[in-house]
Amino acid sequence: MPMYQVKPISGGDIKIDLPTCMYKLPNVHTPRSGFGEHAHQNGELDPAMQALEARQDEILRRLYELKAAVEGLAKTVTTPDADLDATTIPPQGGASTMLTGTADLDSILGKDPGALRDIVINAHPSRPPLSLLVLHGLLCQRYRVLSTVHVHSSIPAVPPELLTCLGPRHAHSYARQHFQLGFTLIWKDVPKTQMKFSVQTMCPVEGEGNVARFLFGLLSPGADAAAATLSDAWVDTALFQLSEGGAKERAAVLRALNAALGQSAWLAGRSSPWPTSSAPAACTSPAPPPPPRPMSRGG
Amino acid sequence: MTNEEIKGAEAEEDQQAQSKKALKKQQKEAEKAAKKAEKQAKLAAEQHGADEEDFAKDRYGVPLMVQSREKLDRVLVRVQDLTPKKADQLIWVRARVHTSRAKGKQCFLVLRQQQFNVQGLVAVGDRASKQMVKFAANIPKESIVDVEGVVRKVEQKIESCSQQDVELHIERIFVISQAEPRLPLQLEDAVRPEGEGDEEGRATVNQDTRLDNRVIDLRTTTSQAIFRLQSGVCQLFRETLTNKGFVEIQTPKIISAASEGGANVFTVSYFKTSAYLAQSPQLYKQMCICADFDKVFCVGPVFRAEDSNTHRHLTEFVGLDIEMAFNYHYHEVIESITETMVQIFKGLRDRFQTEIQTVNKQYPSEPFKFLEPTLRLEFTEGVAMLREAGVEMGDEDDLSTPNEKLLGRLVKEKYDTDFYVLDKYPLAVRPFYTMPDPINPRYSNSYDMFMRGEEILSGAQRIHDAQLLTERAAHHSIDLEKIKAYIDSFRYGAPPHGGGGIGLERVTMLYLGLHNVRQTSMFPRDPKRLTP
Repeated sequence: MPMYQVKPISGGDIKIDLPTCMYKLPNVHTPRSGFGEHAHQNGELDPAMQALEARQDEILRRLYELKAAVEGLAKTVTTPDADLDATTIPPQGGASTMLTGTADLDSILGKDPGALRDIVINAHPSRPPLSLLVLHGLLCQRYRVLSTVHVHSSIPAVPPELLTCLGPRHAHSYARQHFQLGFTLIWKDVPKTQMKFSVQTMCPVEGEGNVARFLFGLLSPGADAAAATLSDAWVDTALFQLSEGGAKERAAVLRALNAALGQSAWLAGRSSPWPTSSAPAACTSPAPPPPPRPMSRGG
Repeated sequence: MTNEEIKGAEAEEDQQAQSKKALKKQQKEAEKAAKKAEKQAKLAAEQHGADEEDFAKDRYGVPLMVQSREKLDRVLVRVQDLTPKKADQLIWVRARVHTSRAKGKQCFLVLRQQQFNVQGLVAVGDRASKQMVKFAANIPKESIVDVEGVVRKVEQKIESCSQQDVELHIERIFVISQAEPRLPLQLEDAVRPEGEGDEEGRATVNQDTRLDNRVIDLRTTTSQAIFRLQSGVCQLFRETLTNKGFVEIQTPKIISAASEGGANVFTVSYFKTSAYLAQSPQLYKQMCICADFDKVFCVGPVFRAEDSNTHRHLTEFVGLDIEMAFNYHYHEVIESITETMVQIFKGLRDRFQTEIQTVNKQYPSEPFKFLEPTLRLEFTEGVAMLREAGVEMGDEDDLSTPNEKLLGRLVKEKYDTDFYVLDKYPLAVRPFYTMPDPINPRYSNSYDMFMRGEEILSGAQRIHDAQLLTERAAHHSIDLEKIKAYIDSFRYGAPPHGGGGIGLERVTMLYLGLHNVRQTSMFPRDPKRLTP
């Protein structure tokens, strides 16, 4: 029997979480962490780590894709004649816009830089870009164009005709400021005809047809989308089938031309900027070599 | 024991130790000396023995100094002419020992003459003795030797020599001028491409060592090529302008007054007074025009007392200057100058291709590109291009050097040319004698020409009217008394004229795409270098 009896102060059923050790530390000997450490030393990767890396790679890949997509978009937006949305352009009444007044170059090529806007065309003397010469003539009718011809040091010599192919030198060619547009033709050792305009915002345009499209854009801003598509098709036909194609392809083009011209006096409808008479002239005399380049756009 | 005593004891011990060491050292040295003496005696004995039995002793050696004692009829063949055509002929060659390598009973010598070299071989046989091979192997590099030998075709091309198809079997070898055995720099190190040296831990020679030992550095194939090409620039300049009806003139270099302002001229004492070194022949060129020479050019030294230590400034350089009267428009002058430059570029491309290739081996660069006729852009166009690229500058600001470089890159990208003219500079940034533009007086009839984005020529239509010149000088607040003689030259009728000048060293440097003008100046002068 106890000497003193004391009543319990609290119920015996209270659970107290007593610590089992003074300082808690993760167990360094657990097989898992030990294994991990070991694996790491062996150059093997933790699966969690691998997952993380895979995720990062995936994110980076998606970023690159996005970047490429944005760059592609930026290119089409900053290329002056590629940002025309065909659907928003009301069909226009044919030649009227083409022949009235000078088009506003600022609206086509962007803000006036306060200096001559110079279009540089590199072409190989063995394949003169005949279509561009025609377009040059048309540009000269519309704008004050400063035309210059140079020979690049990669070409030893060119026939004298090629040096005067842009016509006689302008009487006021000494004052570059007085011109609206520069047309600089450089005979150079290039695989493809190439155009450079603004090196900062535009990549070089390659291929005679594409350069022709750009130049034509300067003549007819906002042309009828349907007509533009039609003439685009003719440009491709002319370049890929007529001048570079075999005999069979040429014959096919001629049949197509014949069919088109049988229905109408114009190759690309009346809205095309100039009578097509010169284009068929170029198209019907493909006597290679060198294959004469048919006129592009609408021709 | 006191502290001092302890120290004293330590010192004593030290001394003892030292003397012990010294003793040992002495002993060792004595042993060494003994060995050396023994060796020498042995060597002497050997040589003595050898001399006796050397059957080829007349076939090698160091002859008396060439003091024009006798005039031999011996024909010396050029190394570059040693081709398979000369096979099996016995010929004499004078050349430098480029390298030598002894290997048992034979010794290979590479004999060099300017940028050409050929492999020579001395082998023990009925013509050459063991002693002769030893002699050949011991000729110091860069010594000049006369050798007689038979030209032999080789089966395998000798890749390390310029004459790859033949070698020379040497039968006689005489040292005409012996080089000191220790060269201040090795020629192989001096031609090693810059990057290669770093990678393989091999030595390259730095600029100052080269310039301090210029005589040896100039012997390298690269230097030979650079200065041959530079001579070509001069020759083409003279040739083209002479064909165009220009007259070469000589102008004084000691002048009484500074021609342009006077900030950067060297003063020299001139008897009881002082004089200046000409910083440009401009005044004299213009006087020749006023004296009806019509078109003139001159080639001569130009002095600039500018304390600028850059890759493209020298205090003395060779100026190639042009001045010409024109009929109606100063573009006639631009055309003349650019045509001359294009002729020089074409001439270099066609006549100096080997030299260009040689330099490219050590200093790789893209070939120089140009247009014909030369591209002429206007200053405003240049500014527009720079602004498009994000440079902020005022309409009438001069181009800074980085902007010039950037513009050069932009022009290269668009037009693919390393040479172009920038025309119509703002009047405010040009000297007082520059003719203002007739339409927009803020601009002027002046132009700069650029090679690889660096300015090489600055020129303008000059004011040929005394009154306008006086006005412009007053506007620039220049003391009219000081330039009285200059203004007076135009009082008695002067044709409209313009011109410009280029620096020979800079043109050579930029044509070859080198990075320092000191490489294209034989004995460069800059603020820190007056020798050699």
